[in-house]
Amino acid sequence: MTDFLSPNYLLTPSTLDTLADAITKLSPLAPQVNADGLCRLQPLSEGVLSSQALSSFVPLKKVFLPPREKLWSFQSGQFSALKQPEPFAVVGVPLCDLQALWYLDQVFADDLPYQNRRARALVVGMPCEQDKECRCDRQLMPLAGDLFLDQEHAWALSPAGEALLRACGAGETTNKPLPWPTASAGTRPMLTEEQYRSAADAAIWAEAAKGCLSCGACSVVCPTCYCFDMLDESATDGSVTRNRSWDNCFFAEHAKVAGGHDFRSGRANRLRFRMEHKFFGFGALHGQNSCVGCGRCRTVCPVDIDLDQIATRLSGEELA
Amino acid sequence: MKDALQPVAAVLHNIVPMATDNHIFSFLPEQPMALAPGQFVEITLPGVGSFPVSACDQVRDGLITACIRRAGRVTEALYQLEMGDVIGLRGPFGKGFPLELFKDQDALLIAGGLGMAPLRGLLQALLDDPHRKARIIVLYGSREPEALLFREELVELSKEAQIEVRFSVDFAETLPSLDDRVVCKIGLVNELLTDLNFAPRQTVAAVCGPPALYHCILEELALIGIPAAKIFATLERRMRCGVGECCHCVAAGRYICKDGPVFSLEQLRTMTEAI
Repeated sequence: MTDFLSPNYLLTPSTLDTLADAITKLSPLAPQVNADGLCRLQPLSEGVLSSQALSSFVPLKKVFLPPREKLWSFQSGQFSALKQPEPFAVVGVPLCDLQALWYLDQVFADDLPYQNRRARALVVGMPCEQDKECRCDRQLMPLAGDLFLDQEHAWALSPAGEALLRACGAGETTNKPLPWPTASAGTRPMLTEEQYRSAADAAIWAEAAKGCLSCGACSVVCPTCYCFDMLDESATDGSVTRNRSWDNCFFAEHAKVAGGHDFRSGRANRLRFRMEHKFFGFGALHGQNSCVGCGRCRTVCPVDIDLDQIATRLSGEELA
Repeated sequence: MKDALQPVAAVLHNIVPMATDNHIFSFLPEQPMALAPGQFVEITLPGVGSFPVSACDQVRDGLITACIRRAGRVTEALYQLEMGDVIGLRGPFGKGFPLELFKDQDALLIAGGLGMAPLRGLLQALLDDPHRKARIIVLYGSREPEALLFREELVELSKEAQIEVRFSVDFAETLPSLDDRVVCKIGLVNELLTDLNFAPRQTVAAVCGPPALYHCILEELALIGIPAAKIFATLERRMRCGVGECCHCVAAGRYICKDGPVFSLEQLRTMTEAI
């Protein structure tokens, strides 16, 4: 999709240096593996740009939709406005997370706190090494972000990315396609919405949900899960802060209303809801599969629930 | 871009107790706010939380008026406030009742319990239309006679022949003595339909009540002959953001807060598990 629209430039060593300087000035976040073995998006420690993308345990979404962010404060009868974030960069983002970013850009198209951060961020993708859990699919949806860099080429993914490349001296263009991993998209299940809806009473929901601990880890690490709640915090000086925090559709309160009625009671229903969201989308994104195939949910689930396996069974295919 | 998550400060202007734990609150927002029947606002009590509510009246003199039941933690805190206290309002959110469809059509409003509150907002909009000549029929069911909201007002409007009213109550030792024009029965609200004389083909229906009400009555109205595109229900859900982002209210793949909360039966038939 975006491949065909992304102008690709040959990078000379001097252009790459200039570009690296420009990016490091934006105090970039980059995925880095810590001593505990976890890969986190954190400030680039040595000021040297990496050349490869890594799949961070918690994905890129946390930069634009933080796990907890202040929406407003209230004091002496007045609501305060938002503060504007400083410009920043994120580098070393894998292609699947750039797709996820495109998806979140659609969801939060009219969300001011999200768009404030997006407008001030330079997002730079890099080539990744394919993991055994990867099931990415270049046809799934377009990419967001500004630049994609390998050591010899740069792809402009946005007008801002293109302007930066030109300002850094990039001139000669090529037709090189983006270096997607070579995994076959054929390993992804083909579940239609009709099959999903007609299987509302299928035994697999109860079976799978029986093991589910409702820990919600799958949603936390999912690059396209975005549901949130808003909770207040009172300070001793009488001021109040409203925070937006990640919520989780596996939590029992998620669809409960005052008076106690629960519109999605039971884990099986909540598992089914997550599957619906992931595979078929809500609202304006209805029809858009948002599983970018990063494999984080499969890896993190303590009881080995795999949405792809459920989808495969529902679609009547045999497991590979 | 407007920040939909940022409330507008509003002063608690008035509190009118109506029934036990069902008071009418009116708020005066700092900036004028439009709110059509069936749409909703999120009321914020800083430090406590927020909840969605539809108006029970037209916006008059800038006032947003809602009948709010003391039903949970945040509404409990609202009941402790005094006039002049400052709260926050966000909205208006969602799609309300299609008022243009009610023009020159008889209106059949069917409420169960607290469902009368949003329908009273619709009723006020219909009564405010000076050109309106068509009938307005209100069928309203409640647990007991004392819990019928806006009861006196509805009886008054009936006496003035502006509307026709039928009440039903689940439990009652004795039925209240109402005006002769007002029917009151013991039973469920859909039983009020059985001997109702009306013209389904030229009627638009609006239904609001607990989930159980929708299971039977919407299709019953269609069976009687009201076209499915002219039967409307307003859905209750856990609405947090109001703008189709936070996902709590989703049913049948749709954001109830944004695409609804008012839907026609024609739409609801395609929305598996929404009712």
